[in-house]
Amino acid sequence: MTNDHCSLFNYSFMKILTLKKVLLISAFLGLILVLVTILSITMGSVKVEPHRSISILLQSILGLKGAGTETEKTIILSLRVPRVLLAGLVGAGLSVSGAIFQALLRNPLADPYILGVSSGAAVGAIVAILMGLGTLSFGLPLASFIGSLLTILIVFYFGRQEGKIHPNTLLLAGVIVSSSLSALIMFFLSISQREELRTIVFWLMGDFSLSNYQAIRLIFPYLLFAFLLLYAHARQFNLILSGEESALQLGVNVERLKLISYLGASLMTAASVSMCGLIGFVGLIVPHSVRLIFGPDHRLLLPASALVGASFLIASDTLGRTLFSPVELPVGVITAAFGGPFFIYLLRTRKVVKTL
Amino acid sequence: MNTFNFIQAAISHNLKDPHSKALEPDGLSPLLAIATQSSGARGLIFLFVLLTFVLFHVSVSYSASKTFKDEVGREVVVLFPPKKIVSLAPNITEILFSLGLDQEIVGVSIHCNFPEKVQSKVRVGSYISLDFEKIVSLKPDLIIATGAGNTRDMVERLERLGFPTYVIFPKNVEDVIRSVGHLSQLVGREKEGVEIIQEMKRRRERVVERTQGLPRPRVFLQIGEAPVVTVGKNSFADDLIRLAGGDNVAGNEKEMYPRFGMEEILKRSPEVILISSMNPGGNYQKALQEWSRWKTIPAVKNGRIHLIDSDLIDRPSPRIIEGLEEMARLLHPERFKR
Repeated sequence: MTNDHCSLFNYSFMKILTLKKVLLISAFLGLILVLVTILSITMGSVKVEPHRSISILLQSILGLKGAGTETEKTIILSLRVPRVLLAGLVGAGLSVSGAIFQALLRNPLADPYILGVSSGAAVGAIVAILMGLGTLSFGLPLASFIGSLLTILIVFYFGRQEGKIHPNTLLLAGVIVSSSLSALIMFFLSISQREELRTIVFWLMGDFSLSNYQAIRLIFPYLLFAFLLLYAHARQFNLILSGEESALQLGVNVERLKLISYLGASLMTAASVSMCGLIGFVGLIVPHSVRLIFGPDHRLLLPASALVGASFLIASDTLGRTLFSPVELPVGVITAAFGGPFFIYLLRTRKVVKTL
Repeated sequence: MNTFNFIQAAISHNLKDPHSKALEPDGLSPLLAIATQSSGARGLIFLFVLLTFVLFHVSVSYSASKTFKDEVGREVVVLFPPKKIVSLAPNITEILFSLGLDQEIVGVSIHCNFPEKVQSKVRVGSYISLDFEKIVSLKPDLIIATGAGNTRDMVERLERLGFPTYVIFPKNVEDVIRSVGHLSQLVGREKEGVEIIQEMKRRRERVVERTQGLPRPRVFLQIGEAPVVTVGKNSFADDLIRLAGGDNVAGNEKEMYPRFGMEEILKRSPEVILISSMNPGGNYQKALQEWSRWKTIPAVKNGRIHLIDSDLIDRPSPRIIEGLEEMARLLHPERFKR
């Protein structure tokens, strides 16, 4: 499956990237993110006039008091804002880790879940639910985080040969560990009771309805740390994609780089998934779309993926909670329904991918 | 990180528990500042406004609030009697309507379908996905949840949003009667509650008396078609089968809703098969056809396969007694001629 000459990573297409261009595009995408965020905060099953929502938001940021009734404030500040922020963080986290996994495995089909992090998280979460730990607040996120960390270590242990990471071996190890864990998930599902089953299925589909500030506070440091770590190596990711040999010759510590990218991206995925369950598609299509539009240079790809992923997931979740209110659609349904066709459109219209 | 903390601090500052606002001085201090700056009549008016504010809030915060212990052992402080109630489950809605709280119920779950009057109430989401925005906009002074469908996360979240949330968690018919009692005290309708409880007990005793000493038919209650799922120990329906004078063939399974293979059913040879249906009449014919292939089962041979309304047998509301009577009629038709 690995294809070093895959056009997605073919650097003959790469144009010269200046710092100015990175900043400009990031600022533009950041502006879109801000607009999407504000728009999402004005939407919901209860109608709060957009200008009132915005003034409530601004006043709370500036520490003022005044506009809005208690009810409106609660709806905006303790329901919508934390939900939108968490969706944004998770969207950014999954997109960036997807981009890194695609580069690390040199495989365009790679996504944050390909090495089994998600299955580990799911096993952790299900064990927590079945043991009744789900009723403790943060029992479930913690269990799923531990589950994914264990999986990361197991895959890492089996995915190396002679102390080195080989993309194909790592991929195989990941896929095999992931399938074994899937068997475990199936087993747990078949023995669980009706009520537990619903909780589990909802978790597996991804759900933001219980977002709160504590969740954001807990995952933000992990995401920020992993992002900075990965971004510091952006230039080296570019080099390694033109082949490990040449990267070595250019002075890149290839093994260390692969280790960092594997651990950093896995940590990012684990933190994202622990709070809201498995949200599919984002980590696959966002980095590809960004690559197709802005090119494959990681110095731009990483921040752009983060910003686009955040906007995309916020918008998807907002659609999920407003389309059929008072019933919410799982956000995964929306990401798949809108993301898939858009991605196909990109594939068809962009010349770059003709050889894919 | 810093910016984030800043926003967070700013937001949480504005997000105090709405119930504590009466005693919180922050909201009043700007008024006080203006009042002391302004001169003459204007200042007096401000002081007057301030005084009425204080008095009003004091009177509100000392209006009778009562503390209750709910059925999962949590303490719930409720403004008594509650005037705006949100029900998160169909059985709770039925109990509240039976207590005559037509006006007080302001929100119900999307699963609530009884009584007819429920159609006009605002829907606040399903068990697993609550529409928190709707709930906040209804400003309830009491929310009643069920331990059998709502999660602890949800209840905690509702409490954090400032809404007292009482959880009921009945596990058998006796518990349902107890829950009716608890809710009637919670909403200040003890008299109505006692009446309902007496009626429920009277009808239950009648069923138990009539079926006493009769041979107990082996019963298989089917609640799912593919795969075939039945009711085990600790389920409501199991309790009903016992009270109605039957013997649940899956009554020793410790799983609440065990899956049964055909071999197991053949081995336990039920004398009566009850099919619980979500929408009566829906797939009854198809289910009957399925069963007709197994002539060795006594229930099939003797044509004792019946449909029973699932809302009456697995919804822990006062109507569960109707379910009990219906089941007794099906198990012992000779004793319950209409």
